[in-house]
Amino acid sequence: MALETQDRAARLADPVPVAVRLRPPEREGLAERFGPSDPSPGLDLLRHPLVARLVRNRKFQFLLILPNQIVFWTVIFVGLLGTAVPGLNFGAAITWYVWFCLVFVMMVVVGRAWCAMCPFGGFAEWIQRRTLFQRTQKTLGLGRKFPEPLARLGFLIPVVSFLLLTWIEEFFNIAGPGNPAATSFMVIGIVGTALAFFLVFERRTFCRYICPLTSLIGTVGSMGTVAGFRTRDREVCLTCKTKDCMRGGTDGFGCPWYTWPGSADSNLYCGLCSECYKSCPEDNVGLFLQKPLTSVVAPRRRRADVAWAITLLWGLVLYQQINATTAYASVENWMNRNLHFPHYPNPVDYLGVIGLGALATAGVVRGIAALLARRDVELSRPGSFADSSSRFRAYFLPVSYGLIPVVGADYFARQLPKFFQHSARVVPAAAHIFGFSSSSSPIYSFSLATNSWIVVIQIAVVALGTLAAAWSTWRITGRELVSISRSGLGVRLATLGLVLGCGAVAAVLYLIMHAAD
Amino acid sequence: MTIREMSAPVAPTHLDVRVLTDRCAGCQECVIRCPTGALSMDTGHWVALADSDLCVGCRQCVRTCPFSAVVVDGPILVAPRVEARLAHPASLLGDVSEIRSGITGWAEALAEAGRCLQCPDPTCVRGCPAHNDIPGFIAAIRARDLEGAHEVLRRTSVLPDICSRVCNQSAQCEGSCSWSLAGGTPVAIGALERFVADMLPVPPPAPAAPTGELSVGIIGSGPGAAGAAWELLEAGASVTVYEKDAVPGGLCNWGIPDFTLPEAVAARPWHQLASAGVDLRCGTEIRPEDLEQLLETHDAVIAACGAGMPLRLSLPGAELDGVTDATTFLQAAKATLGDGMDAAAFRAAFGLAEDPGAPGRPVPRVLVLGAGNTAMDVARSARRLGLEATCVDWLDERFALTRPDELAEARYEGVEVHFLRTLTALRGKDGRVFGAELARTTQAAADRRPTVVAGDPEVLGIDLVVMAMGYRVDPAFTGALPGTPVRRATSGVADRSWSASGILASPASAFADHLPVGTLALGREIGLWSASLPVTERLWAVGDALIGPATVVEAMAQGRRAAAAVLDAGPARPARPTRPDGDGSSRQRRVLVCYESAGGRTARAADAIAGGFSERGDQVRVLPIARVGLAELAAADVVVVGSWVEGFVVAGVRPAKAMRAWLAGLPRLGGKAVGVFCTFAVAPKGALPAMRQALEARGAVVLGEASFGPRELGKRAEASGAAAFGRELARRSTTKATARVLVE
Ligand code: SF4
Ligand code: SF4
Ligand code: SF4
Ligand code: SF4
Ligand code: SF4
Ligand code: SF4
Repeated sequence: MALETQDRAARLADPVPVAVRLRPPEREGLAERFGPSDPSPGLDLLRHPLVARLVRNRKFQFLLILPNQIVFWTVIFVGLLGTAVPGLNFGAAITWYVWFCLVFVMMVVVGRAWCAMCPFGGFAEWIQRRTLFQRTQKTLGLGRKFPEPLARLGFLIPVVSFLLLTWIEEFFNIAGPGNPAATSFMVIGIVGTALAFFLVFERRTFCRYICPLTSLIGTVGSMGTVAGFRTRDREVCLTCKTKDCMRGGTDGFGCPWYTWPGSADSNLYCGLCSECYKSCPEDNVGLFLQKPLTSVVAPRRRRADVAWAITLLWGLVLYQQINATTAYASVENWMNRNLHFPHYPNPVDYLGVIGLGALATAGVVRGIAALLARRDVELSRPGSFADSSSRFRAYFLPVSYGLIPVVGADYFARQLPKFFQHSARVVPAAAHIFGFSSSSSPIYSFSLATNSWIVVIQIAVVALGTLAAAWSTWRITGRELVSISRSGLGVRLATLGLVLGCGAVAAVLYLIMHAAD
Repeated sequence: MTIREMSAPVAPTHLDVRVLTDRCAGCQECVIRCPTGALSMDTGHWVALADSDLCVGCRQCVRTCPFSAVVVDGPILVAPRVEARLAHPASLLGDVSEIRSGITGWAEALAEAGRCLQCPDPTCVRGCPAHNDIPGFIAAIRARDLEGAHEVLRRTSVLPDICSRVCNQSAQCEGSCSWSLAGGTPVAIGALERFVADMLPVPPPAPAAPTGELSVGIIGSGPGAAGAAWELLEAGASVTVYEKDAVPGGLCNWGIPDFTLPEAVAARPWHQLASAGVDLRCGTEIRPEDLEQLLETHDAVIAACGAGMPLRLSLPGAELDGVTDATTFLQAAKATLGDGMDAAAFRAAFGLAEDPGAPGRPVPRVLVLGAGNTAMDVARSARRLGLEATCVDWLDERFALTRPDELAEARYEGVEVHFLRTLTALRGKDGRVFGAELARTTQAAADRRPTVVAGDPEVLGIDLVVMAMGYRVDPAFTGALPGTPVRRATSGVADRSWSASGILASPASAFADHLPVGTLALGREIGLWSASLPVTERLWAVGDALIGPATVVEAMAQGRRAAAAVLDAGPARPARPTRPDGDGSSRQRRVLVCYESAGGRTARAADAIAGGFSERGDQVRVLPIARVGLAELAAADVVVVGSWVEGFVVAGVRPAKAMRAWLAGLPRLGGKAVGVFCTFAVAPKGALPAMRQALEARGAVVLGEASFGPRELGKRAEASGAAAFGRELARRSTTKATARVLVE
């Protein structure tokens, strides 16, 4: 035939791409934007064939969720039907003595490991997807988008829902733990809310915008050593024609967390569900490790909602510490009497202390900004809550990220007494389901450490957290604040001072709390 | 001038586009598709940045953002559409002049072309069954370059003058135009396409010097045949067309009245093709039993025989005099109207004795069953012959398949169209029909069958009944073309780049009569790609013969695609003298190894087999079956299929479920050379024969099969066992002749 090979192939080719003339994607500033936060290719766990096979398997996340699912349904049933003695009730015991502490450890070490195995979202997602693990095409429910004005608030809704849940939990003394049935109701409440959101909205709207835990896991989790699922080669992603990792492909769903591996710069919003890895047709997604604190220090984009979330969480843990002191108990009693509120925690001082803690922190930063910002640098840009920038924000956002380790350590330290004193109770509590053992069992009262040791450990944890925060803040200040401040050294010392101050407050409060005991 | 100013000269009002910065991941899907440049990247935060002042409200960003992170509030900013004018004649009687006069002047054409956004990812192109580069030819119109516009259209179509007149654009290109998907009025693509062809006649084919080697026979001379013949001729093949009628053109010739498609336009392609050297043999009917002989005469045969058999209803009274079908009626009407208008003879032929206009006597009434294209053509022709016409259709008008413009024109011409009515019986007197019993129906949704409402039937006095529900393919041909008709329904995950374009996101705009244009277009893709796969060795089918009743543009596109596949495959009839350098082997062979693997062993075996082929210099692709679609199969000369084997030790052993499903969904692979393999743990049992059978049932020629157990797949033996199989397959498939010998 006279025809050239190429001509023939062209005739048989799909004519659509010929008419598609996409604009070239923007590549400017990529290195600057993602350079600091991109993990090193060597730390990609999915380069190991065995790990890759495991994670590629569609049952991977199902198998992570399943044991937790079993535990939590047990918690619900045992909490409702089992003994009313909290320490002997498996539901209450495992939730408050062990689970909460484990979640903290996972947060600090990994990031959103809990989200990958979470039975609340996991259960609701099974129903939303109508499957336990298969890639289905049709979902159940309305699939609405989360309303834009609310979505703009980002992390603020989860932090408010965390404050609310904590208040409820303190009011009914759920985590004490008190009546085990209260624990069941709380878990049922969370699962029910999750289910409702999964059925009304698309993807993991609940996890991203509502879940009380997400604010804590997202912020504290950024200390973790797992960077999450990220692109292996950003250039491939930029020219990718399908974006299956976002839209869902043959083998995987679109990212339920609204995260694109191509632009993720921290582990904040990667739920480690592995769907993007499964759906990417280019095999361009890896699961990367990173140095601890990378997601605190490195991201170039700081978010106002996250910053406020951190300071509010800081306020909350301060409140919990303060009200465990003797001095505060009398203040609280006096308030309840005068405001005719039945008992602790009085919402006025609850919100008051939290708000004060947050505002005081912000106030100090504001002072630093006022004192040290260079006048010749333009820092203000009007915009919505999420987008606008100002002199205050230029300082507040990076500095509050720097506080994450101290806030995280404080939360962690607060869980330690329950863990050390009572975690052993899980064993008799488990046996009690089957009718063995009682509170007289020696394991029941076995404590892993004495009270004074616990305080020492708590203070050590806070000190470690403060050290990590100091290091992070030093780095962040150097990268982001020195260039916009009048005095480099001045701003470094000021931010460092803030961190050390926060650490000192937390440590001193533990000492006072111990004295109160 | 910005696009906004160009496409919407009216001053813009509060149009607001916002990016939800919390959720925007900076993937740029919206940025690379925004036609106006209203979206850019904030590289510091790596989120999209919107400029409301440039936005025209086309909502492409909303449709294409994977995370629904863009919100557009406000009107659609586009100038009013330039509507092509209608030229209704003063008196219908005997008039066959074209009703739609199209866009007539440059001023209008430029104004309408200015409404096109030149979308970077044009959904209209996906909606057009031929995939015309619509922004491309519209850009040429803007540059007043008609030759350039023809050049662009010629890449995908040989019938722009015909398609632009007969396409139902509202369900195709225009229904898929960004403006339409956004809820607005689309660019008048059809009118612009016609403008190009009206202003400058479609250039004739430029035949390559015939080499006399590849000889292709085409059955039929409808649009599918025209597309194929054109393509083949330009590639230097010798083309013989067998048409059973005396005049070429198929349905375009006798089935579409002149007032929609003037005869000169309909005849244009065959004039050009015949003078360019197509051997056109009219009055030559090919029956299915002649296929074998045809395949001995030609290297390849393309069946484009069309659907010429009218659908008929069986109901009480259907046997009466005065009940006829659309084909008979339209052919007679065309002859009468085009030929000096001997209306009396026409009426006599159909037993309508009365003389219209005579005092005191009613005008004869024709009852047309159906309200689709054919029915409208019948009814409107009847009006031109001086008859009253009533169309009845049991569908709801909202869900009917009528072109809205055609319906409006028919009503203007005095055709009564009743939806939600069904004919239950015909009444006769002296063996002649005189009345029709009509029952009411209801239809709840487009995909529901209408149901008859109880109640007394209406009786309509009528003198002639024309069954015009459509056509079907001669069942004898369907039997001779295995695997036809191909169903144009997609399953599973839609083509990903289609989803990304946003055409599937807003499936039902008012302009498109609430039809899911994206899904329909994806369905048509199946027909288009199926046309590139032979139904049996050296035999291709296109148009009605392939998919059942097809539109003109679909048939034409499939004809071109089949021709491309013929040219690509380079088939040879057994008796053809061979050239010294061989024919099929003049290019690199393309091999596709596709597999279903669970633990990775089958995938590794597939790689090893691929290695066997590439050693011989073949171009090999290795893909999991989930990624193998019609396009991949069509492009391959040799296909190797492998699966792991499921079952418990020796019980229930068979190919993996996914493989079985894939095999069951395979199209015809007429004469395609295939190899089969499986990997097993204990014994392959019946897995290989099952796969082989499934492939042979689709006309594939199995060159060899092999199974690999744990021993062959052990660390080192694996490579050699599978690779040796690959080498053997490669050797056997070197020439098709060998392949045949091996199978016999
Ligand atoms: S599908 Fe893969 S290549 Fe495409 S954007 Fe997602 S991760 Fe990148
Ligand atoms: S899809 Fe990928 S990026 Fe999204 S949450 Fe899951 S693992 Fe993380
Ligand atoms: S509506 Fe259209 S013009 Fe406006 S920003 Fe979106 S894509 Fe661009
Ligand atoms: S398509 Fe959506 S997520 Fe991607 S850049 Fe645009 S607004 Fe952001
Ligand atoms: S061929 Fe038909 S569908 Fe395609 S652009 Fe032309 S009128 Fe539209
Ligand atoms: S015709 Fe419509 S979809 Fe096509 S390029 Fe123009 S505006 Fe875009």
